[in-house]
Amino acid sequence: MINSGVTTAKEAGLALCHDCHKLVPATGKSALGTCPRCGAAIHLRKPNSLNRSWALVLAALILYFPANFLPIMLVDFMGSPDLSTIMDGIIYFFQEGSYGIGAVILTASILVPCFKIICLILILLSIHFRWRSWLRHKTILFRIIEFIGRWSMLDIFVIALLHVLVNFEGLTTITAAPAAPYFVGVVLCTMFAAITFDPRLLWDA
Amino acid sequence: MNSEAPTTTPAVADIDINQVIACPDCDLLLEKIPVATGEKLCCPRCGETLREPKTDSINRTLALALTGLLLFPFAIFMPIMTLNTMGLENSGNIFDEVIMTWDTGYRFIALIVALTTIIFPLIKLLLLFLISLSLKFKRYHNSLRLLMRSYIHLDEWGMLEVFMIGILVTIIKMHHMATIQYDVGLFCFIGLLAAALGSSLMMDKDEFWKLIENGERRNQRHRGAEAEGTKFCSNTDFLEQVAKK
Repeated sequence: MINSGVTTAKEAGLALCHDCHKLVPATGKSALGTCPRCGAAIHLRKPNSLNRSWALVLAALILYFPANFLPIMLVDFMGSPDLSTIMDGIIYFFQEGSYGIGAVILTASILVPCFKIICLILILLSIHFRWRSWLRHKTILFRIIEFIGRWSMLDIFVIALLHVLVNFEGLTTITAAPAAPYFVGVVLCTMFAAITFDPRLLWDA
Repeated sequence: MNSEAPTTTPAVADIDINQVIACPDCDLLLEKIPVATGEKLCCPRCGETLREPKTDSINRTLALALTGLLLFPFAIFMPIMTLNTMGLENSGNIFDEVIMTWDTGYRFIALIVALTTIIFPLIKLLLLFLISLSLKFKRYHNSLRLLMRSYIHLDEWGMLEVFMIGILVTIIKMHHMATIQYDVGLFCFIGLLAAALGSSLMMDKDEFWKLIENGERRNQRHRGAEAEGTKFCSNTDFLEQVAKK
């Protein structure tokens, strides 16, 4: 079977169900109906994968700037409000000597979104220009992007927690600031970009 | 004694659809081989894990999902911790966190936090519980496949483990400025996280899909037998015997 000359399911005229991974015979180009096992729509590849991923990655790239340059947290200490961006928070931790926690936040909030956007753009470009090298590594890179996607929500959860825990009326209160929705936007866009992207397109190119 | 690999390319029609599997990440077509529990089948071309059978998958998923469901209300509504500074005391739970964020006007943030830490984890646990319960008692309802698909799509949107790291960061952030007292909610949340992670890990999707597929086929045969006026036993093996007579 392995030596049969047919290497992919697509060449053998088979489509893999996106949801339950059952192989289904695929005769036409489109409109393959639904999976007999789970009822999901069958496609040889995820529909409009490249266009959707490009759109979502570019949206994430645009949102990345307000997310990082606008203040994300408002600390009100005895009536004097103090706005801080993500970077201010990280610098604060490094100055305090909490290098570990500073590194965690730096990774989750700045490096991970940046890494995801750059790598997705690289992968998408490599499909457009049919760069057929490092295919295995690019697939592994994509799996890393899929895995780390959700961890960027960390900063948002911390702010929400601080908001409810540090709520001493008249002394200190902490609330979210304008960058927070943009930041969530970046995370959601990159997560959806990874969901709509079909890594098999790398191998088809 | 001829051990040379065949050089002729067999026609596409020669491939038996039940004897092959395909890699979801690179579409490589592979021969279906049995994988024992504790073993892992990886794609030789891109390294994706194709099969990873779990021991006693249904029972363990069921037990852990039930544990998670029992801990859920306590993890969400009991206070996580109490901060104490300059004679002032304040505690909070996850539900209040969402409500307070909503009230400050950041409704999008509140909605996303509510979905990823309360609603999706709860739905995931309910789905796992219902699916494994039906499989355990061999009740193959038509909606089972819809439940499975919902679970697969919701999987990465439950973010309890990210929230746990968020709690740790908060503790490290606040321990200079206030005395922190850990409350019941925190321990329930850790338990919930362990149960939720465990139940997702223990679930063997391939096995579950196979059981659902076979179960639905059996249901169809039952209906067929009923239409012919034959009596049948709910036990599969016995049904075959009865049906053959």
